[in-house]
Amino acid sequence: MAGARFSRRALLAATAATATTSCRRGARARDAVVFKHQPLWGDPAPFHAMVADFERATGVRVITEVLPNASDALHQYLLTTLEGNVADFDVLVVDVVWVAELARAGWIADLSHAFPPETLRRELVPAAAESAVAFGRTYAAPWYVDVGLLYRRTDLVPEPPRTYAELESAIHAARRVSPELHGLVWQGRQYEGLVCNAYEAIWGHGGESFAGDRLALDTDAARRGVGYLRGLIEQRLSPSTVLSAGEEESRRAFQSGRTVFMRNWPYAWTEMEKPGSPVRGRVGISALPGERGPAPSVLGGWQLAINEHSPPALRERAVALVAHLTSLEANVTMAVHYARNPTRAAAYEDARLKAESPYIASLLPVVTAARARPQTPYYPMLSEVLQSELSAAVSGVRSPAEALSRAQRLADHVMGARG
Amino acid sequence: MKERPAHGYLFVAPSAAVLFFVALCPIAFAVWLSLRRFILVFHDDAFVGLANYRFLLRDARFFSALGNTVYFTVVSLAIELVLGLAIALLLDRATRGRGLLRAAVLVPWAIPTVVSGRMWAWMLNPDYGLIPRLLPVHDVDFLGTPGYAMHAAILVDIWKSTPFVALLLLAGLAGIPDELYRAARVDGASPRRTFFAITLPLLGPSLAVTVLFRALDALRVFDAIFVLTGGGPANTTETLSIYAYKTMMRTGDFGYGSTLAVATFAIVVLVSTVYLRTIGRSAGVAR
Repeated sequence: MAGARFSRRALLAATAATATTSCRRGARARDAVVFKHQPLWGDPAPFHAMVADFERATGVRVITEVLPNASDALHQYLLTTLEGNVADFDVLVVDVVWVAELARAGWIADLSHAFPPETLRRELVPAAAESAVAFGRTYAAPWYVDVGLLYRRTDLVPEPPRTYAELESAIHAARRVSPELHGLVWQGRQYEGLVCNAYEAIWGHGGESFAGDRLALDTDAARRGVGYLRGLIEQRLSPSTVLSAGEEESRRAFQSGRTVFMRNWPYAWTEMEKPGSPVRGRVGISALPGERGPAPSVLGGWQLAINEHSPPALRERAVALVAHLTSLEANVTMAVHYARNPTRAAAYEDARLKAESPYIASLLPVVTAARARPQTPYYPMLSEVLQSELSAAVSGVRSPAEALSRAQRLADHVMGARG
Repeated sequence: MKERPAHGYLFVAPSAAVLFFVALCPIAFAVWLSLRRFILVFHDDAFVGLANYRFLLRDARFFSALGNTVYFTVVSLAIELVLGLAIALLLDRATRGRGLLRAAVLVPWAIPTVVSGRMWAWMLNPDYGLIPRLLPVHDVDFLGTPGYAMHAAILVDIWKSTPFVALLLLAGLAGIPDELYRAARVDGASPRRTFFAITLPLLGPSLAVTVLFRALDALRVFDAIFVLTGGGPANTTETLSIYAYKTMMRTGDFGYGSTLAVATFAIVVLVSTVYLRTIGRSAGVAR
């Protein structure tokens, strides 16, 4: 009894102490740079070592804090904290499609002095540089990139298909041997992944993202691109289950060995090659097919930005941390330890990367050809429109032509009425 | 009637203050926001009067969300009432292990909705889910096929909420005096007649309260459907709450998002007022 009372008192004292220190910490100026990032998975040691190197070299203390992994939750977190002019973190991760939005809102700092747009364009893969620049100024430094890839079962299809026609005949050929195989799995659930898949199909049919200031949605190429996705399901080249699939559902369907092709991000490769994976050693990757030769992939990935409201005294140190984490050396470390694709073209030629992650080194052509989704501060609103209309088109609720003309009208409304 | 002493107001003041700050203030703020163009990212903040409401009346997505919400509410509530009543009657009859049975029935209700939503999403997964395996036709993608997805969400809600309905009705059954049943037996009434002449009418108030509780919950449904489908495919499972959430939290359009939230609130208030004035009064809930 006495023990219980004692421990309760100790707990109270501890709580009070924590409360006072956190108050004091809030009141007094911070001297450490706070870096908020999403979980990297894998062994945290190489990442921490990278941060520790920076601390040793500069004498700046860095506190890393982990954010939610789900991109929606992360976006919501940033909207609410940055809107509140929160000053308790300095460096943050942003998705490639948020840069223009957060820059327009004035929540992330202009970094053009430290990372001039021309330098980014010279050193980085083109779409990564483009994603970091909004309104002609740099607002973020690309950390790592993602691209859409075509995974195939090399035991069923030895040579990667370059066109949609070749893909189709490869599926038919594989099914002549084992008829129960699924053809191509992709991400058709109503979410951002569907927008990526649709853009790849539209670009694969020769489409563009913009026509002047408007999104190019009600166009022939877009209709054929979205019609192609719907056709995959109608012609049973893709199972109807793609309509509820995100990345992980596709990855599992492919990894179980019942599928010939998969469209997915590079992360799936690591899972395919893990010991115990049923398809280990029988998976190949290539660029996505297009109507006439490989199609450009959608560029995804994460960038480092600086909170506009972080204390000015810490600004220089925060910029130095961003420079350190996006250096060539950091690019290679992130690739070797976390299988994240470098943003710097030179990293793909790096001897250590070539030796330890030849798979990543081989992605340079795909990463170079990748395109960014529309760069506009309206992107989150446009994505809402695209997600619902594209979902209607691929699931057969509306014809692709009707869905795209509705999407065009709604997108014009979003961009026009709020310009 | 005695005159109320003035210090009585003093005693209710704390509760009234709490209600004012946690219920009335947010509602008033939402109404105020709904009259403005308020988009976070563009730092738009201007009074626009009823413009948002005028847009609402032309917004096809709002009406499809409204239709989805009403369909979800009516279908899930009807099935939950029938099933819940059946379970309550069975539990009422059970003589041994009644406490244990009651606790067991409540398990689905006790699981957090997000957890059960995830669990059902896996069970319905077309590739390795349990339910498609049990069915004669494989390869049915419940959560990806328009038409099926909403019914999958209704199924999850029925699984979750039937225990709650059963428990409320069980309490109502316990309140029916035994003498009535004995008298009915003496008069030679059939079990069917007993049910329709005694059980059902006397269960009226409990039924009315249950319907009200469940209807208000179902009209605001968010978590189960959001976890299962996120509103897809093609917005066929998007409810009013999901649309309002997406508008506010994904696109940062707090003005129009608030308009949607206020519209949802108004619909819920309207339904409950009309209900209490008509069915509720005749069943003796609101007197």
